[in-house]
Amino acid sequence: MSPEELALFPFLTETSEYVEELDFSLDSLMTSIAFESVRRRGFERVMQAFDGEVSKPSFGNDKEVLSELLSYPYARILVSCVNEPAFTRRYALAEATAVHSIMKKRIEKDPEFVLDIGKDFGVSAVQSEEHIRIYFSDYIRYSLSMKDLSWKLINRHLEHGYVTIQREEFARLLQEAVRKRIEGSLPIPEIPDEIRNACDAQVTELKAKYEEQRQNLGDADLGEVDFSMFPPCINKALSNVREGVNLAHSMRFAMVSFLLNVGMQTDDVVNAFNVSPDFSEEKTRYQVEHIANNQYKTPSCATMQTYGNCVGKDNMCAKIRHPLSYYSALKFLAAKRQAEEEKYGKDEEKTANENNNLENNEPG
Amino acid sequence: MDELTKRFLKAKFQAHYKNLNLQLPPSFTSREWGFISFDPMPDVIMKRHKYFGSFNEVSEYLIGMAPAHVYYSVAYYDMPGAPRMDQKGWKGADLIFDLDADHLPGAKMTYSDMLDHVKAESLKLADFLTDDFGFSEDNIELVFSGGRGYHFHVYDDKISQLDSAERREIVNYISGRDLDFKFFFKEVAMVGDTGSGSKEFMGKRGKIPTKWVLEGYENGWGKRIAGYVVDYLKTEAEKGKDNPKEMFKDLKENKIAGDATLKKLAGFASDESLLSEITDKGRLDFPVKDFKGIIEYIIQKTVAEFGVDAGASVDEPVTGDIKRLIRFPGSLHGGSGFEVQTLKFDQLPDYNPLTNSLAFDDKPTKVRIQRPFSFLLNGQEFSVVEGKEELPEYAAVYLMCRGVANYGY
Ligand code: SF4
Repeated sequence: MSPEELALFPFLTETSEYVEELDFSLDSLMTSIAFESVRRRGFERVMQAFDGEVSKPSFGNDKEVLSELLSYPYARILVSCVNEPAFTRRYALAEATAVHSIMKKRIEKDPEFVLDIGKDFGVSAVQSEEHIRIYFSDYIRYSLSMKDLSWKLINRHLEHGYVTIQREEFARLLQEAVRKRIEGSLPIPEIPDEIRNACDAQVTELKAKYEEQRQNLGDADLGEVDFSMFPPCINKALSNVREGVNLAHSMRFAMVSFLLNVGMQTDDVVNAFNVSPDFSEEKTRYQVEHIANNQYKTPSCATMQTYGNCVGKDNMCAKIRHPLSYYSALKFLAAKRQAEEEKYGKDEEKTANENNNLENNEPG
Repeated sequence: MDELTKRFLKAKFQAHYKNLNLQLPPSFTSREWGFISFDPMPDVIMKRHKYFGSFNEVSEYLIGMAPAHVYYSVAYYDMPGAPRMDQKGWKGADLIFDLDADHLPGAKMTYSDMLDHVKAESLKLADFLTDDFGFSEDNIELVFSGGRGYHFHVYDDKISQLDSAERREIVNYISGRDLDFKFFFKEVAMVGDTGSGSKEFMGKRGKIPTKWVLEGYENGWGKRIAGYVVDYLKTEAEKGKDNPKEMFKDLKENKIAGDATLKKLAGFASDESLLSEITDKGRLDFPVKDFKGIIEYIIQKTVAEFGVDAGASVDEPVTGDIKRLIRFPGSLHGGSGFEVQTLKFDQLPDYNPLTNSLAFDDKPTKVRIQRPFSFLLNGQEFSVVEGKEELPEYAAVYLMCRGVANYGY
């Protein structure tokens, strides 16, 4: 590949070898005036993670190519210093999305070029007329995170180990490969203090922006998981698990789907079970992922009652028909109370009217 | 199991391991081994985290200890002998399928019915592995488990790195879970005299002739569906010859199609040339209304017919477990005395574990029976009650392993 192309695909083995051969010292990258533009572009890359896609430049001269090449390792240092897993994920996604845009166009004209990129990821794939045939294990590795049923292996045409896919689907799978590679390689371990100090101002700015965005999103979403607002049935189940009492299958299911629905990550849900001596991570993970992947709905209060899982009904329960509404109702009230407190000072009073409206929050 | 019985079984197992032509799995020095011994029985104590550096070490251990059960890990590790899993350093794992009647639904079956059922599932699985996944038979080891089923070990560098979730996607494929008929059954516009090859023609929609096709009918699930549709229609047509009322009974009962539709479908079903269009060209338009419902129904039945009960219920993540231990082929199963035997695929259809896996001969052997017991072995029905019995050695060993008898009198 030409240096221009390498600059567009900075995560490739070939690119990092090329950059290594250029032999610039990390020190000068961090501090030298000559690399001011590299650092500016590196910072921009990371900032663009907030928008979801890193922009890809067109190059006027060799200096710009070089800046682009070096800005990637610099951006990685910034992300590693911010060191927020959720942010690292977003950055990796933004880099991968950008590359996907390029590959999607390129693969129509020049499939071999994109197949070559796949080789860097160990992907076995060949062209077959208008399609691409990819080895099933490579296919699974990168399609598994896609939720749409059309990506499931069973809904594909599999013949002698190869899955036939569209060209643009191959580009999409590579996006996932890129995302995984970048995410998996971050944060860079043990960054020396001199380096940290050199980019401290930019890191601080990134952290602030990240924090600000997180708060805004938090309001739109269910936000952080707040255990104190769980309904009695779920609390009971959680305390049973903590005490090592086995849950009935239906209750286990209800609890897991509830936790996933209020925004807990799979790993955290699995960990919630990691208390009993016979905890099997593999088994639990399987169950949790099964529920997560199928996006099962949490059972309603009526169903919970049928299975004898509705325990400890309280006043709030009388106003809702679904355990998730219990949670969102309390969240809503808490947010409202906080807003009012900020406006009028402390006022504990809330009207019956408000509560009644909450029933509409019930999930479908 | 009394002391004398333990001693007897150990001596018998020892003799087996002395004569055994030991075949070790690939990279056996990178695997963890586990053993259950007769000595502490009825307590079951697994000695794990063993590792062997050479062929002779394995052989000497088996002969010296004569364990009741022998397992090795499907995974390879940097340090297979490390005492904790997180210290071992996972390097990869074989792909394993464990088709055991224990995991399979339909609990109330006799032992030999169960074995037959699992065999049928195994044959389906063999087909998926070689046809759909393209594994060479040389890289698959098919093993009778010594208990109620069969194990498949796939040794292939290309799959050794798959993680649990990725392996479960393979299980989903072979079990037919999540198969969605809309990805197999498509309406496409006709090309040629009667159509434009597009659903739009000169700016108009709707009037363009279309046909329904089965996508991917040439291989994988598409091929299974095509074959099943044809078989189904042929079978129903046969039924109709004897008694028209019997034809499409299930479609009627499930209210999938009405009488007028079924009449037309009957005509279709007895037209050989139309049927061959399905398997040869993937054409699937029946000359009837609401045939989408019919096809969807038949596809569901295809999944029920061809999907493998892979023991993949939510609680049995067998294939997904990338660190599990599995029985060592060639060893004896201490709960039955049967040999854990490696088979060629073409041996499977005629394989009868209750005859072929017997590791001992018919020398008369004295035992004391503890409770009444009936069983079938070596083509012979046995029925014993409490008290002294003289039985062929293979049957005596079987009863002792099952805890039904003690040695000698
Ligand atoms: S009423 Fe609903 S939310 Fe309340 S305890 Fe029962 S099931 Fe849970």
